[in-house]
Amino acid sequence: MSKHEFSFNNMNPGATVLQRLDPMVIEKPRNPIHVHTYGGETPFFRGLTEGKLMATKCMNAKCDPAGQEGDYFLPPRVYCPDCLEKMEWVDITELARATAKVHTHITVEHPGAFNQVPMPCELISVEIEGVATVIMSQLTGGKGEIGMKIEPIFNTAKPSFTILDLAWKPRS
Amino acid sequence: MIKFTERNLATPKQMRPVYLVAFGQSDYRKRYPEKKTEELCIEAFRMMALDNKLKVDGIQELKGYIHSCYYGHFADHFGDQLLGEALIHDRLGLDPMGNVGIKSGGATGGSTLWMAANAVASGYSDSVLCMGWERMDEVDTWTGNHYISTAADKDYETELGHIYTGYYALMAQRYWKTFGQSSPAFRRTMSKIAVKNHGYAVSNPYAQAPARITVEDVEKSPIVADPLRFYDACLMSVGAASVLLCDEETAYKLTDDPIRFYITAGSHTLRAADRRHMEIPLLPNEKDNDEIKKTYAGLYGDSNIERYPGFTGFLAARMAAYYAYNMTGIVDPCTDLDLVELHDAFTISDIQTYEDIGLRPYGQGPDYVESGDAYLIDPATGKRGRLPSNLSGGLIGCMHSVGATGIMQVGEIFWQLQNRWAEFHEPEHRWTRWGKEKPADFENLQVPDAKRGLAISHAGVGSHVTCSVLMRPESVIKK
Repeated sequence: MSKHEFSFNNMNPGATVLQRLDPMVIEKPRNPIHVHTYGGETPFFRGLTEGKLMATKCMNAKCDPAGQEGDYFLPPRVYCPDCLEKMEWVDITELARATAKVHTHITVEHPGAFNQVPMPCELISVEIEGVATVIMSQLTGGKGEIGMKIEPIFNTAKPSFTILDLAWKPRS
Repeated sequence: MIKFTERNLATPKQMRPVYLVAFGQSDYRKRYPEKKTEELCIEAFRMMALDNKLKVDGIQELKGYIHSCYYGHFADHFGDQLLGEALIHDRLGLDPMGNVGIKSGGATGGSTLWMAANAVASGYSDSVLCMGWERMDEVDTWTGNHYISTAADKDYETELGHIYTGYYALMAQRYWKTFGQSSPAFRRTMSKIAVKNHGYAVSNPYAQAPARITVEDVEKSPIVADPLRFYDACLMSVGAASVLLCDEETAYKLTDDPIRFYITAGSHTLRAADRRHMEIPLLPNEKDNDEIKKTYAGLYGDSNIERYPGFTGFLAARMAAYYAYNMTGIVDPCTDLDLVELHDAFTISDIQTYEDIGLRPYGQGPDYVESGDAYLIDPATGKRGRLPSNLSGGLIGCMHSVGATGIMQVGEIFWQLQNRWAEFHEPEHRWTRWGKEKPADFENLQVPDAKRGLAISHAGVGSHVTCSVLMRPESVIKK
């Protein structure tokens, strides 16, 4: 330590910090910003900000679906996973209000870093009649139970422009 | 594409036999500031080259055999180094031989073996290096959990908690509430798996988390994502593992005791959300069994409780086993095999995998543990188990140094089939080598007369799975 002044607390963000001398261990902070597109799935994410649940459906009469139940895809896909034809967007908000159920649920107590959901949070997978898939989402205003009837709610007031703009509440 | 044709389901072929010739590994730790990744990889290579009774005069003569190299390393953002395989290849001094990096999440080790074995089987190379590693200690645990969660769909899943345990827990809850009927007995079976695997790790000098714990300890540990608790989850690790695969002629030139090696792979959607209901591909021990067919009709038929594979099974594991059993001639894994190393990322996914690979029919996985089959010696009865699982300690007790994991599992089975497990785990120097003391309660975990083993390497919530089968050459089933 005689020759150099080692600082273990460097307040300059982005600069290297010495953590240990032997073995020599350094800290390398960073905070990059990623610019990410929703591309062709934009109608889904824009729909959430407008209070709509948008799914996709394959309209190709020649398509031979591999799955055995449901036509709608939620999460949506731009192209049909079976025939790779472009799918059509369908507003399934009312269908979801009438028929959505909890397929499975959990309570998360310890989230990973960068989480924006208040903890503990209820995660659910959502079954909707006629939908081939079971989307993951969050439940508010109740504890999840398999088979619980639920309806979608949307964060239209102050959207985050992420999947967190969609949540579900128990349906009375 | 999940509507099968005969071509989709064709039995995979190796154009010539592949043999495992040598295995080496570093030890595994949560944090390893004493060594760079390059050093850990070289330690694994040195052990592979020098400790396996190879008929060569040292490292350089062995390097003279290597024709191409396959490197498994999953998470660039953890190690903060792109093209890490080029660094490792250079430090091993294997330039200018061809090399490639392979990544498939938690199955990276298995996928790397798959590519390496195919290079030998096809005739491209007579002898290949297959090495995997991971460095997960540059960030704290919760940033690490965030990094892992970016292996979910970032637009539709990652934002929901940034925690992969949660995405598994959704499946766990469904399994536990339907097949497990929310019973405390089912919770107890999950806990027994954690107790078993931490316990086996006690006799493994390379293991990160040896522990003698009880079912009560597991059930009192903090909840991460209900119903999964701290002890239900695998480790985050730093470490490296390495095997040498060869064709028959080269294998016998290098060793008197090579082990036949087969490997297959399956996949399924990244998001569990997208798993559409389908028919079950039946394994050889199921396809002519009317009782099992009746059970499955009850579970998944018209009055179905469950979608198949839905949230309760892993189709990728089923597919890998389907190909592997047809390729190797295995009919009943519990009879035809002597030990297995499964991908116990979580206690619940371990149980689900028992069913996917046919150790038990769907819905009856817990019986593999409860019957005592999963133990070397069943602690409840003192009797030998039929098919001991994860004697290394698995991902819960030994390590999950992601790129190395699938290779470690296969390597541990390799030593077992060579009847050399004790040589690599028992002597004092194997412990002092890593600065450890051999525990007073060390147990000899060599499976007596082991001839065949199987290892499952698994990614995501079942996005990629490989199934490795190892057999002593005289015990090959399908000639």
